[in-house]
This record gives sequence, structure tokens and C-alpha cells, in this order.
Amino acid sequence: MSTVNTAVSGFARRHGALLALALTVVVASLSFDSFATGDNLENVAVSSAFLAIVALGMTFVIVSGGIDLSVGSVFALGGVLAAWGSRHGPLVALALPLVVCGLIGLVNGLLIARARLAPFIVTLAAMLGARGIMLNITDEGADTFLVAKDSLFADLGRGKLLGLGFPVWITLALFVLGGVLLRRTRFGQNVYAVGGNEDAASLMGTSVARTKVSVYVLSGLLAGLAGALNAAWLTSGVTILGQGMELEAISAVVIGGTLLTGGTGFVSGSLVGVLLLKVIQNVINQIGSLDSAYQQVVSGAFLVLVVVLRVRPVRRARAATGGGRRRSPSPG
Amino acid sequence: MKPFVRRLSATALLTTLTLTLGCAKGEDDTSAPSKGAKDSGQVAAEPTAGAKSCDLAAYGGKKLDLANATVGFSQSEKEANPFRIAETASVKAEAKKRGIKLLTANAQSQFSKQISDVQDLIAKGADLLVIAPLNSDGWEPVLKQAAAKKIPIVTVDRKINAKACEDYVSFIGSDFVEQGRRAADQMIKATGGSGQVAILLGTPGNNVTTERTKGFTERLARKAPKLKVVFKQTGEFAREKGQQVTEQLIQSKPDIDGIYAENDEMGLGAVNALKGAGKKPGEVKIVTVDGTRNAVQGIVDKWIYGVVESNPRFGPLAFQTLEDFGKGGKVGQSIVIKDSAYTPANAERDLSKAF
Repeated sequence: MSTVNTAVSGFARRHGALLALALTVVVASLSFDSFATGDNLENVAVSSAFLAIVALGMTFVIVSGGIDLSVGSVFALGGVLAAWGSRHGPLVALALPLVVCGLIGLVNGLLIARARLAPFIVTLAAMLGARGIMLNITDEGADTFLVAKDSLFADLGRGKLLGLGFPVWITLALFVLGGVLLRRTRFGQNVYAVGGNEDAASLMGTSVARTKVSVYVLSGLLAGLAGALNAAWLTSGVTILGQGMELEAISAVVIGGTLLTGGTGFVSGSLVGVLLLKVIQNVINQIGSLDSAYQQVVSGAFLVLVVVLRVRPVRRARAATGGGRRRSPSPG
Repeated sequence: MKPFVRRLSATALLTTLTLTLGCAKGEDDTSAPSKGAKDSGQVAAEPTAGAKSCDLAAYGGKKLDLANATVGFSQSEKEANPFRIAETASVKAEAKKRGIKLLTANAQSQFSKQISDVQDLIAKGADLLVIAPLNSDGWEPVLKQAAAKKIPIVTVDRKINAKACEDYVSFIGSDFVEQGRRAADQMIKATGGSGQVAILLGTPGNNVTTERTKGFTERLARKAPKLKVVFKQTGEFAREKGQQVTEQLIQSKPDIDGIYAENDEMGLGAVNALKGAGKKPGEVKIVTVDGTRNAVQGIVDKWIYGVVESNPRFGPLAFQTLEDFGKGGKVGQSIVIKDSAYTPANAERDLSKAF
């Protein structure tokens, strides 16, 4: 009995979001003729890509037991820097946001790991700081830097391969790399160990500080890259982007099966979480006549439902096996 | 330790959800559209000589009978302030009156959502689009998709930075530079043409903010050089932010003579801040733009000196433009609407015209 429960719980935890996604897609395809069309699915894929890259970095941070609230502002800053840099060629357009956003991640990581400040506070400050820098270089947001439509950099966002936009392929590649990094490397094991039990990890000889700094640098780099790709896609460094994006990213990661307490989680779940959020948004638009206030109620309610469905079997199984209070640092 | 962490994580998750949901709240005293208001629909200003027009032949595409078409409407901000409430209501009412199938989407002030909203409307089969853009730049992916399907686009209230009659058909909206100039005229009258004024800027990145600022500062420099702009900060078109910025303003410049708020909501926020600081009605002259009922009531109550109208009832004019265009007729590339104004002289009488 308990093995069955454990199996069910494991499946629900790992694939609950995937089941919810599959169910939503099937219901939406049956309900709306315009849902399962190539155009529509490509829209969902492209609009998911940027959030997904941000959520990938967030997954590492949350598995390590932290949180990164700065990603939305860093995303916006990355886009503005990329658009500004694009006039000096595609290399500058990519390198500039990566360097600056990576540095913001480094400062976050150092303050959290070395000065032992709370991640919530440090990254909240970075969120304000990064938006401040962005407003500063755009004259309070009044100047929008444009990316030349025929430039190589714009092609990075607008180009297509086998019918899918480059941002989608880049996202998929990053998730494969991210999955390998988290599950198959020493660094990944360290991230799990630090998130599971910091003291134990330290006693076992893991460099806790270096691991923590690395995840925040990674998160900054990925948020900056997502912003740069988004700027290439929109061919402009839009200044009002990214507000609330950190919450979307955290929601996607949690829906995807990563626990906010750290120590467990996996990157593919976060990708599914992002897709689920975007599909819900798309379905609401498919209905086409919902009031804006109700739209938020519907998506909020859906989120709660998914989380409840995902968590309940886990709790029940834990109660059955008596392991409710124990968390293992194993990559669940 | 462990239960604490667990509780903390639950709290964090709940906070996330509340924040996501929390945005849906309306503002108690403003969210209800004013009942019994006369529908003072928009009137286009006389086209000036040489104004550019657009038709099907120039834009590309085939004739469309609006009565059988599906129209997609993308709203930029949630219907939580009177301007957006009146704008959406006007578009919906006109579609209903004409019996047209209308698809709506609301970007909740998130630009990336507005991009996917419009793409969704296109995928859902909208034949024509009415867009109230949140930001003026960044529309490339949408314009490309619409162009591939030859879908005519009309933008209302804010502009898209692209080529009229090529990327979109026409823009319908106010002359925001002129609104800024008229606000400056009222401010000059209110202050006697000398002193220090502050500007509460709108959300950055769109033409409304830049043009309302431009018209105001240029007119001030030309007509009343002794009236100086000593403070400029964004209140993001929101009441709370307007109040917050004004509170800082009173701290740093307690002797400020006038405040130009680039919309009514920020102006009402400024009134709250002045009340909180113990100022008396009329001590600081406030001039705002929009013409919401609460702001016009503010003139009656002597807190606000004047309001320049920006008419949000875009429905009739937008659908008329799309109908004419679909039939093959010529429509203006930039359709400028006539706005009136509220001053101490007419505020009480015209209160019912406010939205």
C-alpha cells in the first residue's frame, strides 16, 4: 500500500503540472477551434520562451534554498542594454547585458553568501536598483532604444528554424544544458546539498558560499539573456517590461514541482510551469469576452488548484510512510 | 526550524498569489462608471488641409463588411481608473449597438501580455483590430503578423511608433501637445504667470506622457518665463503613486505654487497629499488632464483649479473609421478628436458630462 502511495506521490510531484498542462491543452483543443492551430501554438511557445529562461535561473536559486526577486528588473535592464548595444554590433548587444546582469547577480550572491544577508531583502534591493539604473540610462524611461530591423541581432529574436522562432530553440537548448548541470554535475549536487541542509553540506565539504554565489550569477545571466532576446524580438528596448515577472517566474517554478524550501526540484518542471501559465492566459483570450478582473480571478484560482492537486498526494503519502517532516537532499 | 521554514514557504506562496490576484482590485470610489452621465461622444476635429489619408488600395487587403466581421479589442490597463472604464465600455457598447462580434483582451499593464494578447486575437480570427497600446515601441512581432494577414489596425488613445497606412491604418486620439498647452494656459491663469510649478509625469515610454510634457513646458517657456518648472517625477498615471510623489514634493519644496498632473488620477493623489500636509483648498493650484467626474468635482470643491478634457469614448469613431475603411473609403491616418475643458466657470454645470 505504502509503495503504491509513494509511487503515486512521486508521480504527482514530478508530473502533476505536466498532467494539468496536458488536460488543459486537450480541453482547450476540444473547446476552441482556434486553439490547436500552428499559429496559436507558436504564439504560446514564443511568449513562453523569455519567461522560461528567467524561470530556469530561478529554479537553481530556489533549489539552493534562496529566492531572486530582482529578475524582472534585470530582464528589463538587459533588454534596454541590448538595444542600446545593438548599434555597435550583435556581439556588444549580447555581451553588454550579460556582463552587467551577471555582475548584479554576483553582487546579490556575495551579499547573500558572504555577508549572510537574507536573499529576500538583498534581491529586493537589487530589483529596485536595477530598475533605477534602467530608468537612469533611458531618461526616466522616456527614451526607447531601437534595434535596427535588418541587423544580425534582430534576426536572433525574429529568425525561424523549422517553423519555430530562434528564442524557442535557444530556450530548449538552455533547458537541456540546465537539466544536465543540475542533475549530472558536481555543481548541481552541491546546489541540492546546500538547499537541503546547509550545515550538513558544509560539514561534508561542500563550498556553500561558492555554490550560492554561482546560482545568483546564473540567475542574473539568464534574466539578462532573456531580456536581450526579448529586445531582439521586439526590436526595441522597451522600458516598462518585467514588472511582476519575478512572481510569474516563482509561480512557474513552484507549479513545476520545485519546493520553495529548497533541496528538491528539477528544471523540466519549471518549463512545464511556464507553459501552463501561458496556456491559461491563452485560453482566457480564447474565451475572448472575460472581464479583466475575472481574468485574474480565473488564473489565480487555477494556480491554487494546480498547487493543491500537486501537494495533496505528497502529503498523504508522507503521512502514510511517516516521513512527513524529513527532507532528503536527494534530487527527488 | 523545519515547521518555521514550511510556514514561511506557505506564506511566501500565498503572498505571490495574493499579489497576482490583488491587482484585480478596483478603486472603491472611482471604479463605478458615473451613472446618468450624458454620453458625450467624441467628435473629430476638422481635418486640416493636407492631412494624410489612407484607404484599402494603399494599405493592401480586400473589402470588409464590418457588420459581418469580428473585431478584436486589446485594452492596455485594467479597467480600474475612469478613463479605461469609459473607454472599454464605449467600445463594447458600440459593438453591441452594431451587432458586431467583439473579442476583448486586457493586458493588465503588462506589455509582454499585450503583445501575446493581440497575437491571440489574430489567431482567434479577428478581421480588424482596435488597440489601446500600453507602450509606443516594441510592436514589431504583432505588426508583422497582422501585415501577413492584411488585418487593418486602428490604435486609440496612444500611438504606435510605426508607419501609418503601412503598419497600421490610423490613430484616433487627442492632440496631447495641445492638451499640455491648454493645461499650461490654465496654470498661467491660476498662478498669475509667476512662481514655481511641479509636473507629475505619466508612465514613461508612450507618446501621451512625452507630448503632454512637451506642450506644457514649451507654452510655459514662451508665455510665462517667470513660471518655472522646479520638479518633475513620474506618478505612472496612478493615484497612489501621484500621492506618494506629491508627499515628497511637499517635503522638498513646501512653497510650491502649482502642480500639473498629466492625468486626473495623479491629480487626485496630489489632492490627498496636500490634505494630509494640512494645506487649504486652492493654496496650491492643481491642473490635470482627462475630465473624470472626481476631478471635476474637485474643481467644484476648490481643490483643483482646472481640468483639460481627454475624451475616452472611442467606440463610435473607431468603428466608423473601420467601417469606412472596409468599404474602400478614405480615412485619416491621424484622426484628432476635439476635447473640451473644465474650469471654475463651468465645472458645476458640466459635471454630468464628465466620465
